[in-house]
Amino acid sequence: MTPARPLALAALLSASLAWPAAAHHGWGGYESDKEMTLTGTVQQIAFNNPHAMLNLQADGKVWHVVLAPPSRMSTRGLPADSIKPGQTVTVVGYPAKSDPAELRAERITTADKTIELR
Amino acid sequence: MDHDLAPTGPGWLVALETSGLGESLRQSVWLYPLVEITHILGFALLVGAILAFDLRLMGIRAPLLPADALARLLLPVAVTGFALAIPTGLLLFTTEATALAGNPAFLAKLALIGLALLNILAFHRLAGRRMADWSLSDRPPPGARFAGAASLALWVGVLACGRLIAYL
Repeated sequence: MTPARPLALAALLSASLAWPAAAHHGWGGYESDKEMTLTGTVQQIAFNNPHAMLNLQADGKVWHVVLAPPSRMSTRGLPADSIKPGQTVTVVGYPAKSDPAELRAERITTADKTIELR
Repeated sequence: MDHDLAPTGPGWLVALETSGLGESLRQSVWLYPLVEITHILGFALLVGAILAFDLRLMGIRAPLLPADALARLLLPVAVTGFALAIPTGLLLFTTEATALAGNPAFLAKLALIGLALLNILAFHRLAGRRMADWSLSDRPPPGARFAGAASLALWVGVLACGRLIAYL
C-alpha cells in the first residue's frame, strides 16, 4: 500500500473530529458580541485546574460561570478562599453559544477587588 | 448540562477524581501546570522521534542514514518520551476522571494509542527485523513503508485527539 492511503484516513479522521470543537476552551464557544453583567450570590465555587468555576444565583437562575486557572486568579489577587459561597460578586462576560446558563467571565468583582480573567 | 460542580458518574471514577491525589492536583497552583508541561515534553519527544523515524521508513530522504543506526538514536528518545507521557497522563486523568471517561476525543486518543502500539509491535516483529540489511540506496520494503505511514497517521491522530479533549 502506498503511504497516501493512511495519510488520507488520518486527515479524514481529524476533520471528522474537529467540527464540534466549540464548547469550552478558548473564547470561540461564547457570544463575544453579547456582553452581560451579572450580580448575584455565589452558590458553589471550585477553585480548580484547569480553570476555576462558580455557580452564581443571579437574574432568576443559576449561572455556571467559567473563570481563569487558579494560578492566574492567585497572581491577580484572588487566591483560593477569597471567594466563598454566600458572597455577592459581579461578573462581566459572554454567554455560551451551546448552553443558555453558562457564562465565560471576562472580569470578576468581589467586595474589594476587580480582576481581569483573560 | 449538569452544572453541579461535584463529579457524577461510575463509582470508581468518582473515587479517583475525589481522591486526595485528584483533589490536590486540581487545587495546586503550580503542580498541575508542571504535570502538563512534563506531559507535553513527553509527547514532544515521543511523537517527534517517531515521526522522524517514520519518514526514514517511508523512504523519504532514505539514502541519508542507515535505518538501524537511526533507530538506535531515535527509539530510546521515543521510549523516554513515552515514560514521561504515561504517568503524567494518568495524573491528569485523575483530575477530571468522570468527564474524561465520556469525552469522545479522549476515547479516540486511547484507541489510536492502542493501534499505534500494535503497529510498533508488528513492525519490529515483521518488516523491521532485518533493518541492518536494508541497503542505503533503496527504499525500505513495502511492509516497512506501510508501517511508517500508518505510524505517522496514528501518532498525529493521537496528538490531535489529545488537544481536542479540551474542546469536546
